[in-house]
Amino acid sequence: SLPSGPSPEIFRRAKFDRPEATPALWQLLFRVLAPLPLDNPLASLAPEVQARLVKSALRSQGYPRLALAQLPEDGSQGSRELLLALSWLLARGPVPEQMLAQTRVPLGDEMTVCQCEALASPGPPAPQVRAEDPVDVRYVQWLMGKLRFRWRQLVSSQQEQCTLLSKIHLYTSGCHGDQSLGHLSVAEAEMLRDPEGGQQVRGFWSGNPQNLDLAYLKGLHFSCTPGMGPRTFWKDLWLVCEQPGLLLGDWSLLSPLRALLRTLECENRRLEAVLTWRRTELVFWQWMDTVLDTCAPRAPAAASQGTFLPGIPEHRGGELELVAWELRALQEELQEAAECRRAAWEAKAGGCGRGPEWSAVRRASREAVEKELGALQRCWEQDRDPAQPHGPHRLVRREDGAAGDWDLRAAEVIRTLRSQEACLEAVLHQLQGQCRQGLARLAGALPGLIWIPPLGR
Amino acid sequence: MLPRDCSGRLVAELQGALDACAERQLQLEQSLRVCRRLLQAWEPTGTRASEPPPGPETNEEDPPPACTPSPQDLKELEFLTQALEKAVRVRRGITKAGETDKVPSPRSRSTVAPPGTIAFAPPQNPGRAGGRASDARPTKGPCQTTVPPKGHSERQLLSLGHKTRVGTGARAPRPGPGLRDQQMAPSAAPQAPKAFTLKEKGHLLRLPAAFRKVASQNASLWAQLSSMQTSDSTDATAAKTQFLQNMQTASGGSQPRLSAEEVEAETRRLWKACSLLRLRMREELSAAPTDWMQEYRCLLTLEGLQAMVGQCLHRLQELRAAVAEQPPRPCPVRRPPRASPSCGGGADPAWSPQLLVYSSTQELQTLAALRLRVAMLEQQIHLEKVLMAELLPVVSNTQLQGPPWLTLCRAAHSLLCEGGARVLTILRDDPVD
Repeated sequence: SLPSGPSPEIFRRAKFDRPEATPALWQLLFRVLAPLPLDNPLASLAPEVQARLVKSALRSQGYPRLALAQLPEDGSQGSRELLLALSWLLARGPVPEQMLAQTRVPLGDEMTVCQCEALASPGPPAPQVRAEDPVDVRYVQWLMGKLRFRWRQLVSSQQEQCTLLSKIHLYTSGCHGDQSLGHLSVAEAEMLRDPEGGQQVRGFWSGNPQNLDLAYLKGLHFSCTPGMGPRTFWKDLWLVCEQPGLLLGDWSLLSPLRALLRTLECENRRLEAVLTWRRTELVFWQWMDTVLDTCAPRAPAAASQGTFLPGIPEHRGGELELVAWELRALQEELQEAAECRRAAWEAKAGGCGRGPEWSAVRRASREAVEKELGALQRCWEQDRDPAQPHGPHRLVRREDGAAGDWDLRAAEVIRTLRSQEACLEAVLHQLQGQCRQGLARLAGALPGLIWIPPLGR
Repeated sequence: MLPRDCSGRLVAELQGALDACAERQLQLEQSLRVCRRLLQAWEPTGTRASEPPPGPETNEEDPPPACTPSPQDLKELEFLTQALEKAVRVRRGITKAGETDKVPSPRSRSTVAPPGTIAFAPPQNPGRAGGRASDARPTKGPCQTTVPPKGHSERQLLSLGHKTRVGTGARAPRPGPGLRDQQMAPSAAPQAPKAFTLKEKGHLLRLPAAFRKVASQNASLWAQLSSMQTSDSTDATAAKTQFLQNMQTASGGSQPRLSAEEVEAETRRLWKACSLLRLRMREELSAAPTDWMQEYRCLLTLEGLQAMVGQCLHRLQELRAAVAEQPPRPCPVRRPPRASPSCGGGADPAWSPQLLVYSSTQELQTLAALRLRVAMLEQQIHLEKVLMAELLPVVSNTQLQGPPWLTLCRAAHSLLCEGGARVLTILRDDPVD
């Protein structure tokens, strides 16, 4: 059963570093840092393990205070430090909103434009690497072939789905109450067709049956009245952090539609809680300053890392080396090209005179080029393209393609994707080229063989 | 044969990629099933697998019984019709004024009253089209006794009733369903279960009102949240920054150490820089300048690019140094969703309810295909890096000679240089004796 959330009392006690507040805060931090669906076995870990995971996650995000790493994991002390850690997380990013977004109920047909949940390698291979028997390289080739086949299958299934989706949108246009949407999504149409879910494929709502929230009932109990002072923050915050995904004992008696309505209502309560939080959060930060003040300033401890999970170290070093290789190769090419051009230019324009109009023109060119290159640099320095926020977007079909100011137009997204594609293809070809050179060198060492490359694309 | 740890890593990576593909395929197929079913005729619900009601063959339109209605049924039908008409009259008065949210979604009704109690005389006979009058008081006792087994179908009727109401609603609002029922009832038999397709009647559908209400509330709350994020109050932001700084100084740290995430993010950025610079270089080199000014600009660009690469390399050295002095960190069991090279990481704003508007099937297909292609390319690049890290050392250090070595070479070449798609040929060139 779901433990109840920390009461405001807990947070007050944590300010004074009372030990009884500690376990609840460890749990809260765990929930925030490891937002997992509750049917995941990780959710039922022992408190010590949870504490270790919290430490590890905070460290990898760069948490500055070493005191956290030194806290005992049995929940006996350290509540103030945990409170500071929580506030640190809250200050760095929109944590409540992100948590809401993770458990959001998608009502529409959604497509993710950015690649955050892409099929690129699923996380660290470390957990998957077992002591395999040595394999023949041809097995690796076979696996690769299988992968290519699966991609082709995906592509064709995807195309079919688009056709069907488009038809459904077309046929139901004019139905939706919300004018900006105009037509039903697959999920909504399915709900109309089969509200009781008799024929429904379970789990259609991407895990919706698990999204029933016991906290819904609790949430109703916590009245989310906006108030001043830290008291209500914690209620609001806890409401948001509360993990959805608990199965009500009798959820199977609820029709999927009713379950959906319940979940939506719960989500609405949480949204309201976050909005309240945001409106009044200034008071929270003022309070946290007082918490920080009650902390005795510590001398920086020696850089002892404390315990951490036994794990396989990252291959970060290798990745950096590859980038270094790439950049150096690029630098050489550029150097060659630039020197060549510079020589040609000097030869040509050297005799053209150096009148004032020439230098004005030259300066103008320089400025223009600088501006262009500056824009280019911003492309990679900016962490994200502000025009394309994270996350899935609801697909809406409009015959005229008219889109509001805030909406994304498919044509633009296509353009962006094409340029990403070009970029990635360039990288891939570059890497393959490196390999070709490397292998050619090895092969060249052997006399008596002719290497016939396959027909190019 | 490849060495053990090399094999392990390669197989693990490829298997992971295969699993991810398979999962995606499964999701797609599930979605396809649902879509296909939606586009077929919407069947009468008698074909459903659910247990009880043996009798009711309710469906979207006027469901007739499978057999001719018995006299008992007809009588009950008449009761029901009367009740419906009365309810309709009552409703007309009520709904003129106000909200439709008293409208009986069987769902909201169920949450109000314990399931099983119906605030509406349920249709005894499948020949009933759903009435809208579910907030009328139950008029007939006998009607209620048979509710439970038929509750299931009756709920469906209600939802269907919504649709039929709207379907006929425009023209003949209230009396519509009632009258129609009356007329239909005697002639219920000849009427086949009217299944309809989305194509014909799709635009007549309406979502249940309870759902609409909750969904619109949901949408407006998300919009509020999103606008609040973008126009974040400067006070709060300032307070947060101040707090972070205070924390930094209080913890006695001088320069914030580079976290693993930041290193990762920087590496990604450098990759991106590399590919963008390379692309730009190609553009410049392939462009044929027509006049001297263009040539000059081309030259300046190339030199500028060179300088930028130098800066990147410098940054890389700094990163390398930072990584080297910190002990290797274990990865937390679950990272935040892994950001791809094309997408940034860091403190991103959370989801905002932006719509993605498309105008034709073609466009949607292009969009989806491109997205898959980008994902595939990213995966390929990742695998390429892994292969390079594992295979190249093996190939160069191997002790093999002769045919096994050639096999290895061919395989390595195919995997590394052709993405596994093509294989080169090796000819032995024996000197002619």
